[in-house]
Amino acid sequence: MFSQQGLSLEQAPPIFVVLRFFFAGSLFGVMAGIALLFYREEIFDPSSVAAVTFTHILTLGVMLSFMFGALFQMLPVIAGVVLSTPVQKANFVQYPMIVGTLMLLWAFNFDAQSWIYAVAALLLGLSILYASGIMLQALIKLPNHSASSKGMTAALAALSIAVLLALYLVLIRGGYLDGSHYLAAKEAHYSLALFGWIGVLIISISFQVIEMFYVTPPYPPAASRTLAFVILGLLVLFGILAFVYPQLRPLKESLMALLLIVYALITLRRLSQRKRPITDATVWFWRIGMGSLVLSMLMLVARQFVSTEWIVGTSAIFYAAFALSVVFAMFYKIVPFLTWFHLNSQGYFAAPMMHEVIHPKIAKRHLWIHLATLVCLLLSQAFAPLTLVAALLMIFSFGQMSYLILHARRVYIKTQKEGERFDMGA
Amino acid sequence: MTISSYMKNQHRECDTHFAKSEEEAAKSNWEAAIAAFETFADVTLTHFKREEEELFPTFEEITGNAMGPTRVMRFEHEQVKGLIGKMAHALDDQDKDAYLSLSESMMILLQQHNMKEEQMLYAMCENLIPPELKEKTLEAMKQIVL
Repeated sequence: MFSQQGLSLEQAPPIFVVLRFFFAGSLFGVMAGIALLFYREEIFDPSSVAAVTFTHILTLGVMLSFMFGALFQMLPVIAGVVLSTPVQKANFVQYPMIVGTLMLLWAFNFDAQSWIYAVAALLLGLSILYASGIMLQALIKLPNHSASSKGMTAALAALSIAVLLALYLVLIRGGYLDGSHYLAAKEAHYSLALFGWIGVLIISISFQVIEMFYVTPPYPPAASRTLAFVILGLLVLFGILAFVYPQLRPLKESLMALLLIVYALITLRRLSQRKRPITDATVWFWRIGMGSLVLSMLMLVARQFVSTEWIVGTSAIFYAAFALSVVFAMFYKIVPFLTWFHLNSQGYFAAPMMHEVIHPKIAKRHLWIHLATLVCLLLSQAFAPLTLVAALLMIFSFGQMSYLILHARRVYIKTQKEGERFDMGA
Repeated sequence: MTISSYMKNQHRECDTHFAKSEEEAAKSNWEAAIAAFETFADVTLTHFKREEEELFPTFEEITGNAMGPTRVMRFEHEQVKGLIGKMAHALDDQDKDAYLSLSESMMILLQQHNMKEEQMLYAMCENLIPPELKEKTLEAMKQIVL
């Protein structure tokens, strides 16, 4: 039957739940910049500790924080899923996740004793599986599914499998298990995390937000109904096959590349068809994100023919640019809108307008910084000192985001304290 | 024509006038911006009236629930009306930054509202309201003017 709560924005979680996930993500972004200052071009060697650490700061620290924050906010609004006691749930998820991530990074770098791996695995495993578990449980119960809610289900399933595989890998690294299936499990882990979780979640969110923020025609049903589950299905299938036929990896990567390129091209086309002709920074963040995804996937296919470190590194940089560009595009819409929306819904006549929370000029400036970071990182593969510039730009980029979140929080609290409130009659 | 398609077409019509007004305001073509905004406000408020006076009461009668989704939709209509007032002021003052800022909030608010109606409420109306009553409701909505 009809989920009444699904229609109610009153069911949205308190704004601070979302903001603090975003804040943690931004601080991890600053940390990624600092890590780059120390590691420099070492991060381009995929087998190095530097690469593993840098990747996990970005995926566990930055992406997971932003994506969980966004899911806590979006599940009630666009998928009709209500999470009861959101503050408590956010506590259970966020604190162990932060401590677990820091311990794991420590363990990667300082030849840690096995108990550090074990505690990191326990904290990360429990918190991430708990979060995906409650969200999946609520999603599965939904009576009316949209393409977005189905896609979110697929993404959370991919995340859960990726985490289980990570636990297995950590137990091997900690010396608790023998490493006979290490390589196949590692490949399945990063494929599911990068394509299945990050990729599919962005895809399913864009089915809803591209149309909503930019007023575009909807995605073709053939794509929105199938993409998420086809990607998840293929990843699981190839993940299992890889234990017996490791030589199938190029086929899997080519299929992923094909599907993700199709998605990126449809999104670019939709953005060009938007009814609102005004182009703000967020439209460009989406365009850069989609362009980066296409280039990353072309490199992924190309590396089957010309396997150089440069191609592998470039593909990874473009994939990170894809994910981060979308995070930034969403950030500059979500933070100002939520601040305005929550205050307006509470009846504050002087609820600050979106531009008063974050002015579009700031988003535009960030766009240039983001582009400069991307260019520096790409060029630093040939000219190593540029990693220093990329690191500083990254620190500035995420430092500014941290400041903007604190600013939004300040504006919110100030309006609640001083603003005149009237009864909205609801 | 179904209730769903009739109402969806109105949503799209609102979007068109809204986008036009926003584009003109961005270029500081205030007269054109005001004209498009007035049409947008007119079409939107008529659409709300059709829902609040015909569609929602029918839905509430059939489901026996006046405190559920339709209550939330009415609440969001009030929020949109509040924003229309503020945007009209910004247009009068030719305050481009305020107008574009408010229009950003309006667009997100309206789009998520429309999506919930299109994906859930209208779909429920199509499934739950008997065919004859659906036709009667549709005809009654068409008669409503502002």
